[in-house]
Amino acid sequence: MPVKLKLILPHAVMLAFAAWLYWVSLRIEVDTGGRIGPAVWPKAIIVIMALLCAFEIARRLLAGAAFMPGGLVTSKPPGKAAPVGAAKDMSGPIASHPWKLAGGVALVVGYVLVVPLVGFVITTAVFLAVFPWVGGLRRPVLAAVLGVAGSFLLVVVFMRVAYISLPLGEGPFKALSIALIGLLGVS
Amino acid sequence: MDALLQLAGGFADVLSPLNFFILAVGLVLGMLVAVLPGLTLVMGVVLALPFTYKMGVAPALILLTAMYVSGTYGGAITSILFRIPGEPMDVPLLWDGYAMTRRGEAALALGWSLVAAFFGGIASAIVMVLLARPVASLALTFSSPEYFAIVFFGLASVVTLSGTSLVNALISLCLGLLIATVGVDSIYGVDRFAFGLPFLQDGIEFLLVMVGAYGVGEVLTRMAAGFESEAVEGAAERQGRWRTAFPRWADMLRMKATFARGTLTGIIVGIVPGAGATVSAFVAYGLEHQYGKNGKALGTGAPEGIVAAKSAATASVGGALVPLLAMGIPGSGATAIILAAFLLHGIQPGPQVFANSPELVNIVFASVFLGVIGMCVLGYFAIKPLCKVLDAPEAIVSAFVVVFCFVGAFAARNNLSDLYVIAAFGVIGFLFERYNFPIAPLVLGTILGPLAENNFMTTMVSFDNDWTIFFRRPISGVVLVLAIAGLMWSLLKTLLSLRKASPNGQTQAP
Repeated sequence: MPVKLKLILPHAVMLAFAAWLYWVSLRIEVDTGGRIGPAVWPKAIIVIMALLCAFEIARRLLAGAAFMPGGLVTSKPPGKAAPVGAAKDMSGPIASHPWKLAGGVALVVGYVLVVPLVGFVITTAVFLAVFPWVGGLRRPVLAAVLGVAGSFLLVVVFMRVAYISLPLGEGPFKALSIALIGLLGVS
Repeated sequence: MDALLQLAGGFADVLSPLNFFILAVGLVLGMLVAVLPGLTLVMGVVLALPFTYKMGVAPALILLTAMYVSGTYGGAITSILFRIPGEPMDVPLLWDGYAMTRRGEAALALGWSLVAAFFGGIASAIVMVLLARPVASLALTFSSPEYFAIVFFGLASVVTLSGTSLVNALISLCLGLLIATVGVDSIYGVDRFAFGLPFLQDGIEFLLVMVGAYGVGEVLTRMAAGFESEAVEGAAERQGRWRTAFPRWADMLRMKATFARGTLTGIIVGIVPGAGATVSAFVAYGLEHQYGKNGKALGTGAPEGIVAAKSAATASVGGALVPLLAMGIPGSGATAIILAAFLLHGIQPGPQVFANSPELVNIVFASVFLGVIGMCVLGYFAIKPLCKVLDAPEAIVSAFVVVFCFVGAFAARNNLSDLYVIAAFGVIGFLFERYNFPIAPLVLGTILGPLAENNFMTTMVSFDNDWTIFFRRPISGVVLVLAIAGLMWSLLKTLLSLRKASPNGQTQAP
């Protein structure tokens, strides 16, 4: 990807998103009887956001990523490294472990998709076992124990201590979840 | 006198056995989340929220307030001893605290940190008690233009004080404000950006944005970095440093101006809606560097650097609770969660709470005082076990954090669709981190967006679409002018920096 395109990509995406939102906001119609309507506030924010994106794109194309002025929090002692959260390279830090990241995102998305069907107990046990493994912890026995024990512990903490109703799953998974939490004394 | 008696009642409530136990649990949890890699103070308070659903409102407030107070200290220990900032607010401690450790003065650095946290915390608690009632009384006279001006000031301040790109902070804020508009409009009952999806028609709760962007997003960011915390030195070497030595009275008196500057900065920045402990610590450090007697030595292991940053960070707690209790406007991420706890129990903080539920206000006051004292006791005696926590593998801690995030957000409404929203904001939070868009303005926009819009719309409807009313009323006019001036100053600074970066008008290659 050309360097300049990479530099402006996040703001170009935001600008396109703002344009699309503005188009959507044009459909917000209601008879306001001459009073200010419900689309005015979001439209004003979208316009400001679009202008900011356009400004930043122009700035990056003209001045590059050599510097990035910030607020007072960037104050740092002379000769010291920039504080955490202070200005970084504008193209964004490169993820040093893209596969770990991809695995993490897949697990997070998979968890939310599976938990309504399979239930909290089983999904969480698998998640707690697999997530550390994807994160680089290569101890399968520990991971398995952690998954089962962790899931049971969380069921006790959330369902018995905090009285939170957790998803049990559907069909056979529901029956299994009920049996498992029954073993823990949770009704 | 009556106020003092009520405060004494608050102390009595918090010191009852069950509440005191909850206070102690909150203090320990706050310290733990501040020390644990991958967990931040705000995330910790978010994760504790589901446990408060079935509690009474008083224990819930005690737990969250105690976590908030002690969460501002735990990270100081790891910053000073191991150069691992538990929280962004602890970064200034690396520059001087760790430098003192390398000189063999770790115990003294911890002592300065503890004394600064105690002084800042107690002083801000006193100011909080003194200020909250008058501010609440003043707020009773406020109408929608004043409320809009104050919220606008908070939004502008957090952007002005932002540590990253000003433009990115403003874009992040705009996105947060737009997220807050999703759902059915409260005045006309019209769908906005809901696309016919029922879970979007209900709106996007700020809690989901917060949990997703801060919690899941942070885990993904750390995962992308390979869960590699900064190197922790050997256990044997650590053990020798595991103690706190208090500085001498004479040295403390010599630094009274630094204590005062840091504490005052923390209280003032804390009161500004949206700006929390991190901003306070950095601003106080910057001021000390600029105006302190020993300012030039900052960054080389000067105790002034520790005192300025730590007293400001802890002082911001009392400050941030003032707008929350007096006006119902959260002053920081953690106070937004405390606001959620109030709302979950059907209580709206603001001027009315002082009249209708004064005992709750006094319980919060007492929790801050006792929390600061407990935090210092814990910080003095619990260094060894707290440091041991650092040995927990980050991958395991993160797995539990993700599950806690999901359960916490799911339990708020028992709605499985909320899990999708959290996962989406987790990815957005990661992308924001990656492309240097600060998350705080996004979350703040989501929290304060409805307040800002409702008060703006109410004003426009009440005053026949006359926007000049915001500037014609004295309080809203002054506050808005200050906010706009701050924003203009920051934008001007940006443009001047742009000119400096391109001398003679030449364009720089990236």
